[in-house]
Amino acid sequence: MKIQHVTVLGLTCLVALSLGCSSSKSGSGGAASGGSDGPAPVFSLAWSEYPSWSVFGVAEEQGLIDGAEGAMGSIEEKWNVDIVLHLRDYDTCITEYGSSVADAVCITNMDIMSPSISRPAVAVLPTSTSDGADACIVVGIDNIDGLAGKETLGLEKSVSQYCFERVLEQQGKDPSNFPFRNLDPGEAARAMQLGQADIQSIMVWNPFVLDTLRKRTDSKVLFDSTSIPEEIIDMLVIGKDSLGKPGGKRFAYAALEAFYAVNELINSSETRDETLVALGAKFSQLGLEDMKTVVTQTKFYDSPEKGLGLMEDQKFQQETMPAVAEFLVSHEMAETKPTFGFNSADSQLNFDSQFLIGIRDGVDPASVE
Amino acid sequence: MPVTPFRWFITASGSYAMIRQPIPAWLFWSLAVSGIVVAIAIYAGMSVYQTRINPTQSVIPGLKGFAEGFDLITKPRGNDKNPKPSWLVTDSKVTFSRLFIGMGLGTIAAIVLGIAMGAYTGVEAFFSPIISFMAKIPPTGMLVIYMVAFGTNFKMFIALIGFGIFFTMVQSIYQSVKKDVASDHIDKAYTLGASEFEVVLEVIWKQILPRVIDNIRLHIGPALVFLIAAEMLFASEGFGYTIRQSQRFSNMNVVYIYLGILGTVGLLLDYGLMRFRRWLCPWFGE
Repeated sequence: MKIQHVTVLGLTCLVALSLGCSSSKSGSGGAASGGSDGPAPVFSLAWSEYPSWSVFGVAEEQGLIDGAEGAMGSIEEKWNVDIVLHLRDYDTCITEYGSSVADAVCITNMDIMSPSISRPAVAVLPTSTSDGADACIVVGIDNIDGLAGKETLGLEKSVSQYCFERVLEQQGKDPSNFPFRNLDPGEAARAMQLGQADIQSIMVWNPFVLDTLRKRTDSKVLFDSTSIPEEIIDMLVIGKDSLGKPGGKRFAYAALEAFYAVNELINSSETRDETLVALGAKFSQLGLEDMKTVVTQTKFYDSPEKGLGLMEDQKFQQETMPAVAEFLVSHEMAETKPTFGFNSADSQLNFDSQFLIGIRDGVDPASVE
Repeated sequence: MPVTPFRWFITASGSYAMIRQPIPAWLFWSLAVSGIVVAIAIYAGMSVYQTRINPTQSVIPGLKGFAEGFDLITKPRGNDKNPKPSWLVTDSKVTFSRLFIGMGLGTIAAIVLGIAMGAYTGVEAFFSPIISFMAKIPPTGMLVIYMVAFGTNFKMFIALIGFGIFFTMVQSIYQSVKKDVASDHIDKAYTLGASEFEVVLEVIWKQILPRVIDNIRLHIGPALVFLIAAEMLFASEGFGYTIRQSQRFSNMNVVYIYLGILGTVGLLLDYGLMRFRRWLCPWFGE
């Protein structure tokens, strides 16, 4: 009997040890080991399902990136970096970035501001901008005046509320007359689709916009993000600390190259449909027709030139980003504004265009540290 | 043989290391405090380590970070025209009112059905399968059903907590009625002329009361889990809402303080109910 107990105890210890060893191997990235000829340093990228971020999932399917640790896709081999993809819920992506579990994150220009105060961030790639993908959907309300005093449901302190208030301001309305109540966007869409009598207005993003309009036939878009072009920006952001590690810049270049490689597939008439289907499979299981709509409402920065165009745009630099920072403080998302700048290494949030320029000019991987 | 520190410790503590051997109060409390000190020391070490890597980190905040977090949650909100209470006051009012009302209604319903099932075989036969089945389903997995049935406001949180604890509590109470109340006590009461209602109130209820109180204690934790999960998705005020928003903005100092408050309140409720049970049912023992 005693031998049996000892055996069970021993086996339990062995299992625990082996689990411990395997989990220690899968820790977060940045365990870099040197230049392009040495072993590939590991970097992690947290992404959630969104049209221009699911591109990284498609890149994995295409063999450009292998999201598992220790395995390399063609672009990873070219740049000698091992990119580990973390597919997560959006909030979890932000938490992974803020807690340094992930080296890089797919995030919006508004949501990165607060985390960048504690973990300085470098925006290396604008991936897309919302051009109708965020919408206020209503039932039984004919115009904006009719919305006054009625509750709109959506994720508070997010791009939804930002878009909601910015459009109202543009229309000369006072947002304080238009109550906005917090509800997870998926649940808000579901509540409206279920026809709950007290829910007349929601502010959500795709795929919930498309889904709600399809399932609640008497609903309509009252206004959307087409009124505020290039204000809501989806981006790839890398931690300044991670970028500074050996191989950090190669990681940035590899991520950009993978993004543009998939964009080429989307833009090519021969591969467009199958790539959109693949993208849709990683974005709420949407089919081809829905994805064709989605990519018109989410405009991709599908070339380095377009990405540079945004980063160098004076309106974006002088008006949009300051307005976003103001929104952050006025809505108690942060006590202070983060410092942000363009090609300004000392800023907490730095929009750095060197990687876009490098990819545009065909930088040689061997010349990058 | 030389007396090494290790040998001295073994000799000194040998008499206390036996199974179920009581230890003096001074040693008990010293060990209890030591456990807390060790936990704090480990946290402090991790915080210092993280701060050395990144001086502006907020994932494992130090004392300064916690002071800032405390300031953040206690600062009055709003403006001169429309003053609002601090996050802590608003969230405490909302969360604990949901918790107490939900737990209260769930407990009352569970007591009524639990006693009925334990006392009457017909009621037991009718409800037992469905109660056993429902008790195995995690309430957080049915959030959408609660939303459909009760909307997204106050009623939904109450229903989630109430039903969340109801099924498992019914099972415990009805088992208690069947096993803790001796049949001869019921027979004696009937023989002495007690009515049906008097048997339930004077014999069954009084004997299961300490079990009911213990059940409420055990359900505080699960009720908080259900509530916080629901508030994270559906609420615009409350602990769950603020925890989710603070996580999004990397304000982990707020998250930890809120978790600490929840843990402390849960602990105090648990301790209070235990004292209440000892006072109300001294015959039940410790």
